[in-house]
Amino acid sequence: MSLASRRTVFLVAAVGFAALFLWGLAGLPDFGAYDGVYGETLNRVALRQRHATNLVAAVTFDYRGFDTMGEEYILFAAVVGVAILMRAQRDEEEDAPDDDARDRLTPRTSDAVRVLGLGVFGPIVLFGIYVVAHGHLTPGGGFQGGVVLATGVVLVYLAGRYSALRGITPGASAEFAEAAGAAGYVGVGLLGLLASGTFLFNWLPFGTTGLLTSAGMIPFINLFVGLEVAGGFVLILTEFLEQTLVVREVDSGGPEGKRERDRS
Amino acid sequence: MDSLTPLPLAVSLLGAAGLTALRGVLGRRVFELAAVAVSAAVALLLAALLVASIEAPIVYWFGDWTPVDGVALGISFVIEPLGAALATLAAVLVTASFVFTWRFFDNAEHLFHVLMLVFLAGMVGFALTGDLFTLFVFFELMSVSAFSLAGYKTEEEGSLQGALNFAVTNSIGAFLILAGIGLLYGRTGALNLAQLGEALAGAPPDGLVITSFVFLVTGYLVKAAAVPFHFWLADAYATAPTSVCVLFAGVLSELGLYAVARVYWTVFDGAFAGHLPALRAIVIGLGTLTALVGAAMCFPQRHIKRLLAFATVSHVGLLLIGVGIFTPTALAGTFIYIVTDGLVKASLFFCTGILLHRLASVDELGCDGLGAVMPLTRVLFVLGGLGVAGLYPFGTYLGKSLIEDEAAVLGYPWVTGVFIAASVVTAGAVLRVAARVFWGVGPGDAYDIKSEAEGDEVQPEGSRGGSGSTPASMWAMAALLIAAAFVSGLIPQLAGRVEVAAEHFVDRRAYADLVLAGVPPPEVGLPPAESSFKGALIGLASAVAAGMIAAAGLWHMRLPRTITRGATALLGPPFARLRALHSGHVGDYVAWLTVGVAVLGGLMAVMMG
Repeated sequence: MSLASRRTVFLVAAVGFAALFLWGLAGLPDFGAYDGVYGETLNRVALRQRHATNLVAAVTFDYRGFDTMGEEYILFAAVVGVAILMRAQRDEEEDAPDDDARDRLTPRTSDAVRVLGLGVFGPIVLFGIYVVAHGHLTPGGGFQGGVVLATGVVLVYLAGRYSALRGITPGASAEFAEAAGAAGYVGVGLLGLLASGTFLFNWLPFGTTGLLTSAGMIPFINLFVGLEVAGGFVLILTEFLEQTLVVREVDSGGPEGKRERDRS
Repeated sequence: MDSLTPLPLAVSLLGAAGLTALRGVLGRRVFELAAVAVSAAVALLLAALLVASIEAPIVYWFGDWTPVDGVALGISFVIEPLGAALATLAAVLVTASFVFTWRFFDNAEHLFHVLMLVFLAGMVGFALTGDLFTLFVFFELMSVSAFSLAGYKTEEEGSLQGALNFAVTNSIGAFLILAGIGLLYGRTGALNLAQLGEALAGAPPDGLVITSFVFLVTGYLVKAAAVPFHFWLADAYATAPTSVCVLFAGVLSELGLYAVARVYWTVFDGAFAGHLPALRAIVIGLGTLTALVGAAMCFPQRHIKRLLAFATVSHVGLLLIGVGIFTPTALAGTFIYIVTDGLVKASLFFCTGILLHRLASVDELGCDGLGAVMPLTRVLFVLGGLGVAGLYPFGTYLGKSLIEDEAAVLGYPWVTGVFIAASVVTAGAVLRVAARVFWGVGPGDAYDIKSEAEGDEVQPEGSRGGSGSTPASMWAMAALLIAAAFVSGLIPQLAGRVEVAAEHFVDRRAYADLVLAGVPPPEVGLPPAESSFKGALIGLASAVAAGMIAAAGLWHMRLPRTITRGATALLGPPFARLRALHSGHVGDYVAWLTVGVAVLGGLMAVMMG
């Protein structure tokens, strides 16, 4: 279709779509008139049943923890997918890492960014760990804390060089962390199966409400999710950086050309 | 049996993560063996669950959160034979794909296996869950892994484009599903299918119920690739590795249809029961459109994967008709057709993979006569064509005849004609490919239909250039699947047994009682065995007609001038217009998707609101 006809088709259809959507929305309860039975029930029982002051965490990691396991694996699959799609091609080769793009000069990282980046790195990592560990008590948890942790690694790249980034995440460590975190969630589920006969059963003592050691298995699940998320984000970051800084298209001659140049 | 229930999912997910963590340590052989072992174990576990669920359906509450006063606090798997059969099929096909691609991929092959296992977990969870939101989570898990699998061959032009079209269209489908869930949750405060069904039953459908139904069904139909939500499919199939196409065509589309049936019969049946004739007309119409468009697009293709992709679209249309009749007998036929057609289609894609391996091409004209050196693949490919036609005893004949008979009873006798037309044309296309590629029949150069295969350089998977022999692991998989489809029609009382499962599947009240209160479902007796002689006869006639169509495709220039001229004048312009719609431009696809939602919603509003 031409651009004009595509727009026409879409706009006409979008009017119908909007009408349908509004018709559906009109059937929702009025603003403030919520009487959702699930929310009401959980508000009544969840704190008593799970000793988690963050009820959202109790829902996502316990009552509906099975969904969250699937969601963790969606991230896992996305990261593995990025790694697959960005793997080195037959007509590409890996070069010594070069922080500058070949065809243009970039200014050196300023001292202000270096000092600030290195200075903030420690607190950021600590904060990330805090957010992961307190997921069952306050807003946050493995997903959010994991991203914060990965941000710390980004700072190392910003403040230093690519080699510094690889220095703190050597080899396949990020991939391993991601896989271990993903496996850990399933492992918690299987422990429940072994301990009580039901997958993902929360069988640990629930402790004292408000303490770090409360809510049974929920903090452990948060730790694994945090590991998975941090590892996954670092992996995506290094994949993208590798694509721009390390992987070079072989100019001519395909793999043969590469081998020749390697010899010379 | 209960503690077995979560294991298929746990094993595949743990396998995927474990293999990722260990991929630096394990040798390549060991790694591939481990991947095969994991998927085979999942297949065995699912087969055990399937057998158990035939005795009695299994309800499993994760975290032991059993419902309180009819309110589901947690998430349940509800395993009944139809969903378990689909999950088992998925695991069998993944295992077959692993064996087929044995030492076949080059770099990053490890991640391919990891992603396939996650994909498998997504399909298993999708088929077994009893929760609307979990259905969405696993829809996403299937999608995200499938996008990357479709784009796996990054060295090829168009591969990323195909994957991107797939990703954009399916993500919009996912948004629609989420919006539908939001509407339903806002009304009922429930996510469990049984609880949702109880909450909606009794009241006539209003705007919210109709809109959420349209959104959910559209989302699932994007995955199933019903017209006009199907455009992404041919792009993705044409570029995905054949071993991935096996899963896309064999079970992924079918899972979309399964979700439509599942959600209708558990959630909406109570609200829509009074409007069933209207709904039936709409869904059968959509299925007919899909079947005919798919068939029309299938026959002119010379890119074999695109040809099979449009055959898949056509068959999805037939299956959608089966779902849209909304009776247990038709549903039973649909399921028999889903599984047997999935086996046939998977085998055909494996054969195509063998072509790619041996000849480094999937262009029908480019392979003209070159397949003569592959006597075994030749037989398998022809058998595939006959399976598509529905020749006795391929189980496809049985599924089709159950749907056709039920449609006729309900006042849709012309559905038989649609089934015959779609089967004959798609089977004819497959047989034409077989005749040209494996026997060199027909003048190759006189063929004047332009195709996307032109100028489309296809990289062979694995080795560069053609290869001298077909590994046993490749043809064995194609042979195994087609053999399974062949004997499936001979299983005694197959139709009756599946009908019993379908009777349970459509009993919304019994389902709600089972899930929310643990009441076992009422007994359903095995219906008396019926002779499906007429279906077998139609299958035979279809196979003969398919052969004739194939011959017409090969020697169309020898037909009398008046016939070819008349056909060109009559069919040429609409065909050209239809082809032009499949532009490869994702913006077009999204525009048509929006049209589909608006039309579907409009029809529902007019006929039911």
